[in-house]
Amino acid sequence: MIGRRRKQVMNAVQLSLILIAILIMLVPIAWIFMAAFKNHIDVFQLKLFFTPTLENFGTVFEPPFFLGHKLMNSTIVAFVTVVLAIPIATMAAYSFSRFRLTGETTMLVVILATQFVPAVVIILPFFVMFRDIGLLDTRIGLILVNLAIVMPFAIWMIKGFIDGIPLDTEEAAMVDGSSRLQVIRNIVLPMAAPGLLTAGIFCFIIAWNEFLFALILTNKDAVTLPIGLALFKAEEGDLWNLLSAAGIIIMLPMFVLALIIRKYFVQGMTMGAVR
Amino acid sequence: MRDSTLKYLLVLPAIVVVFATAIWPLIESLRLSFTVGRLSRPGSLEQYLGFENYIWAFLYEPAFWNSVWVTTIYTVLTVGLTTVLSLGLALLLAPGGRFRSGVQTLLILPFAMSPALIGVSFRFMFNPEFGLFDAVFGVLIPPLADVSWLVDPVLAFAVCVMADVWGWIPFLTLVLIGGLASVPQDTIEAAQVDGASGWRVFRDVTLPQLAPVLAVVVILKSIFSLKTFDQIFMLTNGGPGTATQTLSHYIYFNGMKYGQIGYAASVAWLMVIPMIFLTYAYAKFVFRKE
Repeated sequence: MIGRRRKQVMNAVQLSLILIAILIMLVPIAWIFMAAFKNHIDVFQLKLFFTPTLENFGTVFEPPFFLGHKLMNSTIVAFVTVVLAIPIATMAAYSFSRFRLTGETTMLVVILATQFVPAVVIILPFFVMFRDIGLLDTRIGLILVNLAIVMPFAIWMIKGFIDGIPLDTEEAAMVDGSSRLQVIRNIVLPMAAPGLLTAGIFCFIIAWNEFLFALILTNKDAVTLPIGLALFKAEEGDLWNLLSAAGIIIMLPMFVLALIIRKYFVQGMTMGAVR
Repeated sequence: MRDSTLKYLLVLPAIVVVFATAIWPLIESLRLSFTVGRLSRPGSLEQYLGFENYIWAFLYEPAFWNSVWVTTIYTVLTVGLTTVLSLGLALLLAPGGRFRSGVQTLLILPFAMSPALIGVSFRFMFNPEFGLFDAVFGVLIPPLADVSWLVDPVLAFAVCVMADVWGWIPFLTLVLIGGLASVPQDTIEAAQVDGASGWRVFRDVTLPQLAPVLAVVVILKSIFSLKTFDQIFMLTNGGPGTATQTLSHYIYFNGMKYGQIGYAASVAWLMVIPMIFLTYAYAKFVFRKE
C-alpha cells in the first residue's frame, strides 16, 4: 500500500515538473504570439487580456518596413540553396555510402569539420571578395555562402539515410543488366526520397534562419527576414508589436516544416549529432 | 561508365563546393591575419606584417581578453546548465509513455525558432516595464523586482545564458531521450529487482551506458556555445559596455565596424584552434561507431 501511495506521489511530482518545463518552453513563444495581436498601446503594458487586432500584420508590409521584399529574399535564398545543395550532397552521399574511395575517411572528416568552422571566419574573406567582384548585397552571394553551412550537414545526413537502404535490390538490378546510373535513378532515389525531403527541409530551416552572413553581406536589396528584424530595431526603436508580427511571419513556416519532419526529427538530428 | 571512375565523379561537385565555401575562406583568413588588412586602404590586404596582429591581440588589447573571458564563462555555463537540465527533462519524459510523443512535438518548436529571434524574444521578456519574465522574477525573487536586466553587466550576461539554455534544451533533450531509449531495459530491471534505489540505478547503470551520447552532446554544445553570435547581437549587442561581448561579436565588430579585417582574421584564427580540438574529439566519437 505504501509503495503504491509513493508511486502516486512520484507520478504527480513527475507530471508537475513536466508541466513546468513545458510552460517555460512555451511562454516566450506564446508571449510573442500575443504581442503580435496587440495594438501599439497594449503592447507596452503587461496585459494578458486585450482586444486582438490584425493591423500589425498589415503594417509590417507597408513602408518603411517592406517586409514583403525581405520575405521574398528569404524564400528565394533558402529555396535555391536547398535546390543546389541536395542533388550535389546526394551524389556524394551515395558514393561515400556504397564505394570505397581513396582518402574516404579524410574527406568525410574534413567535411564534418567544416561544419564547425565559425561562420565569422568564413565570412571575412567572402566579404572582401564579394566587394571586389560586386556580389555584395546580392542573393547570389548569399546563396553561395549558405552552401558552406548546408553542404556538410546535408552530405552526412543523406549518407545516413542511404546507409539504411538495403543493398540487395540494387545488386539484383545490376545482375539484370541495369547500369549504375539507372540503379541510382530507379531504385535508390525513390527509396531515399523521404530522407532527401527531410534533409532538404532541415537545410531550408538552416538557410532561412541564417543570420551572420546576411548581416554582413546585405544592406538593402538582398536583406533577409532575420536581418529585417534588426532593421526594425534600428529604424524605429523597439516597436514590439511590429517586431512580434514579423517574428511570427519568420517562425510560423518553420514550425510547419519542423512538424512535417517530426517523425524523422530525432532520427535526423541524431544522425548528424549522435551517430 | 565504370564504377571506379564514377565514384570519384559523384563526390567531385561536393568536394569542390566544400573546398570553395569552407576550406578556401579558412586559408584566406589565415593569410589575411598576417596583413595590415584595412578595408578602407586598398593594397593593405597584401601588406604583410608577420605575427603583429596576434601580438597586438595578446599584449595590447584588453577587449580581446575580455571577450575570451566572456566566451569561456558563457561556454562553461551554457554547456553545463543545458546538459544537466536536458538530462533531467529526458529522464522525466523517458518512462512516461503517455505524454512523451505530445511533449516531443512541442520540443521541436523552439528548434525551428532562429537564434536571432530568440534574442529578440528574450529582450522583450526582460523589458523592465512590460516584460513577462521581468515581472515573474520580480515576484519570485523580490530583490530582483526593480532591476533593469539588460543595463546591469552581470544580469545582462545572465539573460544571455538563459536565452541560450532555453533555445538548446529541446534539441539536447530529444537527443538524450534517444540515448536513453538505447540503454537496455533488462539491466535496469535487474538492478531494481536487486533492490537498488532509483538514484543508484541511474548512477551505476543508466549513466555509464549513456556516457558516449552525453560526451557527444557536451562536445557539440561546446562548439555551438563558443561560436555564439546571433542571439547576443539581437539581445545585448555585446553590452552593456563589453559585458556580453563574445569572441564572434568581437571579431564582427573589429572586422566590419572598424574595418580592421586583418586583425579580425587573426582573432578568428585564434578561435579556430579550440574548434580543431573539439572537432577532433567529435570525429573520434562519430567514427568509433562506424
